[in-house]
Amino acid sequence: MTVRNTPNGFHLNDAGRRIIVDPVTRIEGHMRCEVNIDEDNIIRNAISSGTMWRGLEVILKGRDPRDAWAFVQRICGVCTGTHALTSVRAVEDALKIKIPENANSIRNLMQLSLQVQDHLVHFYHLHALDWVNPVNALKADPNATSLLQQSISPHNPKSSPGYFRDTQNRLQKFVESGQLGPFKNGYWTNPAYLLPPEADLMAVTHYLEALDFQKDIMKIRTVFGGKDPHPNWLVGGVPCAINIDGVGATGAINMERLNLVSSIIDRTIAFIDQVYIPDLLAIAKFYKGWMYGGGISGQSLLSYGDIPDDANDYSASNLLMPRGAIINGDLTKVHEVDLRDPEQIKEFVPHSWYKYPDESIGLHPWDGITDPHYSLGPNAKGTRTNIEELDEAAKYSWIKAPRWRGHAMEVGPLARYVIGYAQGNKEITEQINFVLKTLDVPVTALFSTLGRTAARGLEAQWAAGKMRYFMDKLITNIKAGDLATANVTKWDPETWPASVKGVGFTEAPRGALAHWLKIENTKIANYQCVVPTTWNGSPRDEQGNIGAFEAALMNTKVERPEEPVEILRTLHSFDPCLACSTHIMGPDGAELTQVKVR
Amino acid sequence: MTETFYDVMRRQGITRRSFLKFCSLTAASLGLAPAFAPKIAHAMETKPRIPVLWLHGLECTCCSESFIRSGHPLAKDVILSMLSLDYDDTIMAAAGHNAEAIVTEIVEKYKGNYILAVEGNPPLAEDGMYCIIGGKPFVEQLKYAAESCKAIISWGSCASWGCVQAAKPNPTRATPVHKVPGLANKPIIKVPGCPPIAEVMTAVVAYLLTFEKLPTLDRQGRPQMFYSQRIHDKCYRRPHFDAGQFVEHWDDEAARQGHCLYKMGCKGPTTYNACSTVRWNEGVSFPIQSGHGCIGCSEDGFWDKGSFYERLTDINQFGIEANADAVGGTAAALVGAGIAAHAGLTALNRAKQPGAEKQ
Amino acid sequence: MTELTSAASTAPIYVYEKPVRLWHSLNALLIVVLSVTGYLIADPLASLKGEASEHFLMGYIRFVHFSAGYLIAIALLFRLYWAYAGNEHARQIFLPPLLKAHFWQGVFHEVLWYLFLVKEPRKYIGHNPLAILAMHFVFVWGVLFMIVTGFALYGEGAGQGSWQHTLFSSWVLPLFGSSQSLHSWHHLFMWLIICFVLVHIYVALREDKLSRQSMLSTIVTGWRTFKDVRPVDDESGA
Repeated sequence: MTVRNTPNGFHLNDAGRRIIVDPVTRIEGHMRCEVNIDEDNIIRNAISSGTMWRGLEVILKGRDPRDAWAFVQRICGVCTGTHALTSVRAVEDALKIKIPENANSIRNLMQLSLQVQDHLVHFYHLHALDWVNPVNALKADPNATSLLQQSISPHNPKSSPGYFRDTQNRLQKFVESGQLGPFKNGYWTNPAYLLPPEADLMAVTHYLEALDFQKDIMKIRTVFGGKDPHPNWLVGGVPCAINIDGVGATGAINMERLNLVSSIIDRTIAFIDQVYIPDLLAIAKFYKGWMYGGGISGQSLLSYGDIPDDANDYSASNLLMPRGAIINGDLTKVHEVDLRDPEQIKEFVPHSWYKYPDESIGLHPWDGITDPHYSLGPNAKGTRTNIEELDEAAKYSWIKAPRWRGHAMEVGPLARYVIGYAQGNKEITEQINFVLKTLDVPVTALFSTLGRTAARGLEAQWAAGKMRYFMDKLITNIKAGDLATANVTKWDPETWPASVKGVGFTEAPRGALAHWLKIENTKIANYQCVVPTTWNGSPRDEQGNIGAFEAALMNTKVERPEEPVEILRTLHSFDPCLACSTHIMGPDGAELTQVKVR
Repeated sequence: MTETFYDVMRRQGITRRSFLKFCSLTAASLGLAPAFAPKIAHAMETKPRIPVLWLHGLECTCCSESFIRSGHPLAKDVILSMLSLDYDDTIMAAAGHNAEAIVTEIVEKYKGNYILAVEGNPPLAEDGMYCIIGGKPFVEQLKYAAESCKAIISWGSCASWGCVQAAKPNPTRATPVHKVPGLANKPIIKVPGCPPIAEVMTAVVAYLLTFEKLPTLDRQGRPQMFYSQRIHDKCYRRPHFDAGQFVEHWDDEAARQGHCLYKMGCKGPTTYNACSTVRWNEGVSFPIQSGHGCIGCSEDGFWDKGSFYERLTDINQFGIEANADAVGGTAAALVGAGIAAHAGLTALNRAKQPGAEKQ
Repeated sequence: MTELTSAASTAPIYVYEKPVRLWHSLNALLIVVLSVTGYLIADPLASLKGEASEHFLMGYIRFVHFSAGYLIAIALLFRLYWAYAGNEHARQIFLPPLLKAHFWQGVFHEVLWYLFLVKEPRKYIGHNPLAILAMHFVFVWGVLFMIVTGFALYGEGAGQGSWQHTLFSSWVLPLFGSSQSLHSWHHLFMWLIICFVLVHIYVALREDKLSRQSMLSTIVTGWRTFKDVRPVDDESGA
């Protein structure tokens, strides 16, 4: 039994019963979670473990830096493109390549459309089932749902009783088939679900509606990048050329293409305003008493910033998404973040399945090492290939532990919004105040699972608005006669210096993302990515600080330990990006199987 | 596939009594009234939707993301009306043991009558522990689910060929599904691409259900209907190729007029896929139409052929990575130099022996 | 060792029959055409301006390449027939006597000759053993490789159901793993054949001067003449 206080202020106690969730579903990637609960079913110790490693850093060595975006884009197909954008920025940084204004606007349009779509899909398809009970929707009166809909979103045209009745009928038929597909074995009788049937029916209807709509948002990326998921990018600009009224304009970005993008932006803004935000607020109203999951969001937050207004200027003042760091819960001071400073960002591996020559120190990513080393600690239960219980005192995750000036940090929409709020960002402050007022909660309510989910919705709304802004900017620039989309002066590797290094960053939907690379003799000599889930899902460091996932699970009450919907709720609020799959075992691996839903 | 699941269960030796119990448990688990149980039983006796286990190994979930972008049929219609997507960790409500239990249940109850869809692939190095599901190597789950399935769909280039994690030096020994040692011998439909086109994915599913048989596969195991022609064969920029009109630099005049991207390294001429005809995201565009060459993402080993922007790609068999012109040109130059040297030596030799001429 | 003591003379012998000589010249021409057009397919000429409908440059280059490819394949087929129908020299490069010790001694001697370690080469009516080895393994198999991979590539465009696809692409493509690899290997073997041609021309010129029999005139007229009266060293003795 271990009882101790972590430097970042959590009291860990592993005396209670161990609950294991492996794999965690409705995330991207593979993840395992273990918690100890005390006799009151409150989580007193939490362990999050990334359970997959693909070795892209190793694979990238010796490759052409101009190709790197395609490799790293395959890190994630959900936040598809954000790694590619980070990569081309890193290469451009290393080689001092300036991109044309149009390329900047188009990249921003692609990145913002991802923010909106990813947040939307996360809310409805990955996260909603933690709050919404589709089976309960069968009991709803469609008239009541219609009234609810009209009261929360008067401009949404799809609000008739018949509309909701159709969905209900379809759902009923589906349930009666006995083949529940993705809804099979959910915790549908758990008292943690608090929505009335009419709200459940509304949310389920929008689950299906959002599934139809999200694919349209991504057409923006298909126009500019040729396909989605995994559109095409280019070091030095964007691959799509602009030709408005010249010969062969049909082979390029022309008026018809711009109209297509523009119409999608309009529909996206409407969907977010009329469906996503009202649903978010309506659901939050029922759950605002459930204020768990804050973790380190009230004390340590980090954002690199993104969406450069003008091309090639990556200073904080030119970034429309805020940049900065908050530590020790001091919202009055937002620290400067410098990705090049070897003292700021360091990665540690004493609890990660990697080895460093000296594991007591952290390495800045430019000097980073990714050398896999799988091993289980002496107190782990099970075998090497059948883990029953991890030993968190030893190595226990495929995720490294990045730290900012030694602090474990939370990244993501909530971090961005709190930092923006602390900086007095006008748009963000207005949005946050509106939500706090509507829900009648204090600002501290932000530091919670629900706060994270709300910030994501607000950010989707903000991003949709900014898509309109960059569309207008693109048109204005084209109007002024600038058609350039790529700078090819340094395309040829022969023009490159023998040895350079660069860093590129974005704010991915899930948080701060940066790639550091070194180029030697026109080939990649080292490539290290520190991704949002590396920050949020990090294991402990050498000081014993726990990461954001682990911290957020602490002190949460679990109604039914065998149906830990609360754990899923909080983990999902981060939108973990590892890959997908979940699995819960009792301490002896059998006890809980008796209650499994059959 | 016309067999109902009741028939299947009966064939597995499950009695009607336990079948009805299964139905009432299903209703109870949902918090529904007992009156639902007979309805569920009736549906399962008459209207089967084929169960699908959609497993994820080492991957990036781009296949799932692509799948939900399908415009015809819509993803929701596939999920609600065409299939019974009982296990897909990306979207399923269940988690942990409840999720794992579904795999066991489907494998046991629908022996030989469910589809196994695989996204990603298992790593074999480090005893498979580069991808862990439920504390165990993913490869074990894969083999278990494959044992009793009707057929396997290998979604995307990961499951079909190995894709990015299998690119050199393949640190995790990521292995495509058909090469997994000890995997049950089942028909495998490869649907490569990174990711595959959404409507191609749903069309493969719809074909299985509509025509009640596996699609005709080519020698490499891909459905012939979508993978029998190269992108180049049906590319709308093909006339510019035949004419000899190429983009020479990004954003040059030819790029703005939509000329052929061959010189920019386009892999359309060597890539079997339906991009130039079906196109992406409900026909909005495809890579070449949006100005970037094809990178060949549906081809085996496309990551290891040198830069995406080179026409001549690397041949890796020589230990060093170099393209055919580099290897061949160097060889020819060496041969030329050798000939010159040999000719010189011959002349020298002859000069030394003036009287040695024969005859 | 076969000692040919009988009637060794300086009398010319008719070695290369007309079809063989014709095949040789045709090959020379086709290899040049195929190499140039092939190279231009991989690395096209500078782009042309104007409407696509006004030009067909790549189309013509590819047409010439494919036509020449067909010709070299048909020529090889015919030559294989002639290896059967023609005189014994006609089959020399197709059937090297790899199991005969005398043949390998000849190869060894020829290598020494090229390394300036023996004073004079042996005397042959047909090809010398080293030449047979190179022609068989580099040229015959090289050209065959190019024909097979070439038709496999052609079959990709002709499509499934075409005889090129059925006979070639269907099994060659899976063998190489991908069309891209197949292209690369087809391209690489062009260089192998170019290397062969360079050496072939050089040694023909050299041996015309230094060997004990005629070279250049033989491939033009078909007649082999000799520079001394000592016996020949050919395996078969003909």
